[in-house]
Amino acid sequence: MSSRLAGTAVLALLLACSTGQIGPDRESAGGPDGPPAVDPLIAIQSGARRLSQAELDNTLRDLVGEDTAPAARLLNEDEFRPFDNDYTIQQASAALITSLEALAEEVAARAVADGARRAALVPCTPSSAADEACFRQFLESYLPRAFRRPVTGEDIDAYVPLLAYASEDNPAVDNDFYTAVELAVAATIQDPELLYRIERGTPGDTPGLVELDEYEIANRMSYLLWASMPDDQLFAAAGAGSLQSPQGRRAEALRMLDDPKARTQLHRFHAMWLGYRSIPHSPDLVAAFNRETSALIDRVILDEPGSYLRLFTMDETFVDDSLADHYGLPHPADGEGWVSYEGTGRAGILGHGSLLAAFSKFEDTSPTQRGILVRTRLMCEEVPRPPPTVDTDQPPQGAMDALCKYERYAEHRDQSSSCAACHSLVDPIGFGLENYDIAGRYREHDDGLPECVIDGSGEIVNVGSFAGPAELSQLLVDNGYADSCAVRQFLAFALGRPTTSYEAALVEEIIEAFRAGQHDFKAFVVDFIASERFARRVEERL
Amino acid sequence: MAMKLNRRVVLRGMAGAAVSLPLLECMLPPKRSSAQAAPARYAILFAGQALGGDNYPKNQSRVAGQNITEGGHFVADTSYGRGFALTTPLLPLQGMENDFSMFSNLAIPFNASSADGAAVPPAGAYRDFHGGGSSPLLSGTRSTSPEYVCNGITSDQVIAELNAGQTTHKSLVVRAQPAFYVSGYSFAGRQYISYGPGGGRSARIEAQASPEVAYRSLFSGFVPDDGEDAARFDFALRKRRSVLDLVLEKRAKLVSSVGRADQERLERHFDEIRDLENRLSAIPPIASEGCAVPPDPGADPPIGGDHDGGGSASVTPGSGYSDEHARARIFADLIHMAFVCDLTRAASLQITAFQSHMNARPIADGLGTLPGTTRPSRWASVGGDLHEVGHNGDPDNRGQIPSAGLLQWHISHYAYLMDKLRNTPEGDGSVLDNSMLVFTPEAGHGLQLNDASSQNQTHSVENMVVLLAGRAGGFNPGEHINGNRAHPATVLIRAMQAAGYQGNSLGEVSL
Repeated sequence: MSSRLAGTAVLALLLACSTGQIGPDRESAGGPDGPPAVDPLIAIQSGARRLSQAELDNTLRDLVGEDTAPAARLLNEDEFRPFDNDYTIQQASAALITSLEALAEEVAARAVADGARRAALVPCTPSSAADEACFRQFLESYLPRAFRRPVTGEDIDAYVPLLAYASEDNPAVDNDFYTAVELAVAATIQDPELLYRIERGTPGDTPGLVELDEYEIANRMSYLLWASMPDDQLFAAAGAGSLQSPQGRRAEALRMLDDPKARTQLHRFHAMWLGYRSIPHSPDLVAAFNRETSALIDRVILDEPGSYLRLFTMDETFVDDSLADHYGLPHPADGEGWVSYEGTGRAGILGHGSLLAAFSKFEDTSPTQRGILVRTRLMCEEVPRPPPTVDTDQPPQGAMDALCKYERYAEHRDQSSSCAACHSLVDPIGFGLENYDIAGRYREHDDGLPECVIDGSGEIVNVGSFAGPAELSQLLVDNGYADSCAVRQFLAFALGRPTTSYEAALVEEIIEAFRAGQHDFKAFVVDFIASERFARRVEERL
Repeated sequence: MAMKLNRRVVLRGMAGAAVSLPLLECMLPPKRSSAQAAPARYAILFAGQALGGDNYPKNQSRVAGQNITEGGHFVADTSYGRGFALTTPLLPLQGMENDFSMFSNLAIPFNASSADGAAVPPAGAYRDFHGGGSSPLLSGTRSTSPEYVCNGITSDQVIAELNAGQTTHKSLVVRAQPAFYVSGYSFAGRQYISYGPGGGRSARIEAQASPEVAYRSLFSGFVPDDGEDAARFDFALRKRRSVLDLVLEKRAKLVSSVGRADQERLERHFDEIRDLENRLSAIPPIASEGCAVPPDPGADPPIGGDHDGGGSASVTPGSGYSDEHARARIFADLIHMAFVCDLTRAASLQITAFQSHMNARPIADGLGTLPGTTRPSRWASVGGDLHEVGHNGDPDNRGQIPSAGLLQWHISHYAYLMDKLRNTPEGDGSVLDNSMLVFTPEAGHGLQLNDASSQNQTHSVENMVVLLAGRAGGFNPGEHINGNRAHPATVLIRAMQAAGYQGNSLGEVSL
């Protein structure tokens, strides 16, 4: 029995309708808010983006072999809106700078303490602590990777004085050549050119328009597809000038999508978008859910390119024996594999435990929260925030001591109350998923209450009726929500901010292109990168 | 080995290094004659919880499945003046009754007939908890939306501005709860209790949530006694400064190469690096004999996982907890020594975030049996997260006693800091004698802000309580004072004045 039911007698005062929203999650956007200087169809407005915790950790992994995810440990938690990379709310602070200094020292010390990692960084054997030639060789190979651009002699010269620490005759310290290497690494990790993606480019023909240089394009590609820095091959492509052409970008993007880092990034994108990035279940169950959902994402985007809409309509799912038992599905052949959804009412990602666990509340599924999830994340609609006079921390109580959940939500449906107008937008969607519990298992009745048989029918008002994930998915697909909203979410992720009203035509054009391409997501991403506007930016207006 | 700051050693240690002359000047401690008073310090500690549980009057609880009627658990009893009763939440302050005062029955005004942002009275709360309460509580300035943002400077930063340039760190802003913990959501402003001049989003001050980094930031500048150690220290400090200088040297070129919006972002970043560089260049002055580098707290406790923000069944052991207990204790240690060494004179410690979803169970379990009652220890095993405990998230443990226990835990950190300052001699008294320590929970317990009709609610800006400890500016603690619905900011103003503030207002509240 839900703990909320126990002791309801004490709750003499019924708390009025509540959407169950946790509270204001959205701060009004900073960043671009006026009309941009250039038509968004030609080029998109952008600003310097600081790497998120995940991006910084990935970058340090690829740059110096750091594998302890120090940014997740030492930097303050990123805000997810729903993506971790919204640069319009980033603001440097003393806490950030002191944390970065500690992080940089720690990472640099580890990078030179380990023989293999040190050898990967320094391409020569120093003849002495003060071996300037070797130090310069190190800087020539390291700095372009750290700053993700070619460096000048001036850039390199700036670091050479660090050699004084390597050669200082100081009996108190164990300094050697690698002391200077360590300091150079620590300095770059605190450098805005590593921490931010700063795009300067060259001014275009229109005021405010900037043509990105090859390396800036390479960075855009690698942080979009990998959440990390470019690899040697991408740097080489940039160096050869091939990223300036749509064909060159296309070729590199296709190669990059074959890298496991691209899979991880696609998984991350979907988990943030659909809210299942940190679902509250046991680690084993979460891992099984993640394998299931990742397998579907990989299949519909990369392994069997074709319509991305199969993400929502796939009639089978990837499970192992224990997850099959969890769902009540037949065991797969060979212990792990795809099994049919036939006769289950499930389809695609909405049938997965990962998604069904997202947006739960009050220890149970929340029809309101699930409705909000569908409206905001899958239909890309705004759900009005609850009126301030409503306490969203309380589950709806409905009629005094109503036993069954459906009855407790009665007030949300009461047309004479002020609640119905908004709740009719969301609750009926959630009730259509009520047969699926907080862990994605099928159930006939409310948890522990056989007398509360779940009807399981739902409705997207003015769109259509459904029961269960498969029918809901079909409604979203057939009515053009699934594809258009996926594009909008992808754009917010790619741009590092939600699109603005000034970009409506741009969004429509990209949605149409996705449709015209038969919803091939891989091709869509590659086209996005190959497009002219990917190689440009527009300066923000202040 | 405790490393005491010793000017002679500092100078000797630095002498061998290539140190420029201006640095030597800033190394000299400010001249203070023995007759001069020690500086006044100000700290505010914040608890992201209310004073009771929803729908449970102050003497009602449910413990281990049993309903209990028993007084003494609501923080503010009705005995006023000196010698007032120590209620359950105040028990950690036993023995320090004369070192703090409690101001109770405080209230923030709101418009009961309108939920319009424009209708909020001066210094009032927008009628949407939680966000609506933060600005009036901490900045004395009205909120006009449900957002978590203070619309004016907060009290700790008033004192920081007052002492600007006097200490190495303008203020020490730290937070013990490092993560929001609710699956799919973020802090979204709940993690700020300190705002600089003018308030608003751009003035919010990001708290340092890593004790490890905070320790380093405060104490890595101390010079060891031992000659060899001092030489190593000197080498390390020069390295750090060279590294920061390398980054700062790029400033002009980089900033001038980007557009205006990016210039603002990068300037802010470089400003903070420059400030760090300045802090490294400054040598902590000698404040008293008690100034010593505290023990290194080591690596931070791991950050706990997320849960669904619910009650006892969903907030499982292992989620929603990053050893906030240890983190808060370390931060209290750091504030203590930062005050003793005069590294800063203003501090804020957000023990738990607004609307805190920290797992309450490890906290409650850590409290053990409830002293002073005959009740079984089961009371302590309250389930759910901190926020849900107030909303009756645990069917067996609800109402006043579980809330009082968790408030007691928050106050234990306050008491810990108080006690340390009290036991650190300074001049003829203690550091506490030259400090003002404020403790404020997020909410009171009374009329529901949202609906303006339900009683005994946690989402309330009525029946609020603020604790004030210390004797800076001649403040004379030791009383329970009935605030008679005064604004809580009036207590902050008194504390600020005791800490040297010459004005008589905070935001829209005046004495």
